[in-house]
Amino acid sequence: MSASGYLGLLPLAILAGSAILVLFGLAFARQRYETAFALSMAGLVAALASLFFAWTGAPQRFTALLVLDHFAYLSMALSIGATIVVEFMSFAYFRARREENGEFYFLLQLACLGCAVLASSSSFASFFLGLELLSTPLFTLIGYRREREAGLRSAFMYLILAGVSSAFLLFGMALVYLETGSLDITTAARAASGSASFTVLAGLALMTVGIGFKLAVAPFHVWTPDIYDAAPAPATAFIATASKGAMAILLVRFFAPAGIAGAGPFAWIFAAIAGISMFTGNILALREGNLKRLLAYSSIAHLGYILVAFVASGNQGSAAVSFYLVAYFVSNLAAFAAVAGLSTNEAEADSIEHYRGLAKGHPWAAAALTASLLSLAGLPLTAGFMGKFVIFEAGAGAFLWVLVVILAVNSTISIFYYLRVVSALYRPASEAGTGSMSPRPAMPALAAIALAAMAIAIIVIGAMPGSLMAFIREVARDIASNAAAAL
Amino acid sequence: MAAVSFEYGLALAAILFILGLVGLLTRRSLVFMLLCVEIMLNAAGFAFIVAGARWGGADGQVMFIFLLTMAAAEVAVGLALILVLSGRVPGAVPDEAAAGGEPAPVDMRSLLDTDYQKDAQAGRTRP
Repeated sequence: MSASGYLGLLPLAILAGSAILVLFGLAFARQRYETAFALSMAGLVAALASLFFAWTGAPQRFTALLVLDHFAYLSMALSIGATIVVEFMSFAYFRARREENGEFYFLLQLACLGCAVLASSSSFASFFLGLELLSTPLFTLIGYRREREAGLRSAFMYLILAGVSSAFLLFGMALVYLETGSLDITTAARAASGSASFTVLAGLALMTVGIGFKLAVAPFHVWTPDIYDAAPAPATAFIATASKGAMAILLVRFFAPAGIAGAGPFAWIFAAIAGISMFTGNILALREGNLKRLLAYSSIAHLGYILVAFVASGNQGSAAVSFYLVAYFVSNLAAFAAVAGLSTNEAEADSIEHYRGLAKGHPWAAAALTASLLSLAGLPLTAGFMGKFVIFEAGAGAFLWVLVVILAVNSTISIFYYLRVVSALYRPASEAGTGSMSPRPAMPALAAIALAAMAIAIIVIGAMPGSLMAFIREVARDIASNAAAAL
Repeated sequence: MAAVSFEYGLALAAILFILGLVGLLTRRSLVFMLLCVEIMLNAAGFAFIVAGARWGGADGQVMFIFLLTMAAAEVAVGLALILVLSGRVPGAVPDEAAAGGEPAPVDMRSLLDTDYQKDAQAGRTRP
């Protein structure tokens, strides 16, 4: 392996190495919490910077396990960026009990490494390792605030469900391996795209269950609202963005090159999942009074939108998935940054009632939250609108008219509940005793920075999507050519 | 070379997997639920070994070792959560002495259902 080959591995190596450094910092430093935060942040920024050096060497394969192409680096940049934002919003959130909260950053960084491995995996072995590296820290992150019983319960529930879904995924992998004799992802996908045997189809179906759980698409979505609600807001932000994003990227890498997504039984399965997810998520969100649960339902619907682009397949579909993920990441991170920033050690800012009159005390936070909600709803001049536009384009290009119509109907439904929250922001605060906190605490500086940065990103991507779109299209073209070269 | 056809191994793995799944759906104790997940994971591991044996490669065994490691990590976190929960959730674990020396298993129902906890605290039982 040449020097440039190792350079390509640098982002992963930095993430892993700095995670160990954080652990050392926690063991020896006096100011554990601040040290852990600083070391972890330094590691993440270094990993993000190293992507620029690694970029030129791509695409290349690192052993049979990892494929380091531009698409992998793009999704690494997304997950690392999301983790940085999550760390910004968690600094003040966890500060009240700083003696015992330093480990949060270590776990978060490990989960981020899991995302990075998942996004660049080219074999079932690295797929599985990345997934578990991502899931195992999440169990702890969900139940991180030990004084909250609901969090602990949800953490256990998530552990059991994740274990079951891993078992489904692994059994499916074993069946595919039994038939094809190879752990390679593209080989497996090709075997399935031809005249596939029953064993391969059963294996892929079992794998779909495991993947569906991780993406929280209907009918595997039941856990989402409880866990979003019970987990600390920054952990929820991570689950909503980085964890699902990495899995969506893997799905594209797995299925897109062989064209499974566009034809055969799996196209129908994924199309059905996409349609059911959109309706389930949006209809359940309509009457929800808790902002975190509302975002959980909305994320089910958003993953449904992403699956529309996935079913559209081809270069355009892959590009649409990536672009929508960027829009989804910035919008969700902004929303959760607002929730985390307005939460105090005593109370989580999760009821919509709590946000009434926010515009009066925190005009900028209210404006940023409005931008994020409008972006999630997909209104023009926001990142979400461009994301939906690209998915429409991909869907129409692949003649998926039914899915495109369902998408349009669901976008309309979703506007109602997002606007319900927005209107609460600008209504006068309710009278005392209805659950709104008074006086509302000031927003912590780092969370405010995260919120502002994400809000600006929403507007910039929404207003000037051209260069980002061109860039993503360029990167998405890589997948198909790499898969062809790999064989 | 192969004295046993791989179909038998696969059938055994499938039976184990289904046993684990059924156990998970019927058992209510947290520890047993964790055990059932382990059985499902090990069924998948066994399927990998069978598949590896079919192709005469080490890949299946490598996956099994990965799987074993991951299952151990998951159980470590799971048991830690059960420990914390058993002290925290009222009524989740009845008093050891009152239960006749044998610590009663934590009940999943008591975790997911708050009414059940109130009932348990009040000493009521539900079907």
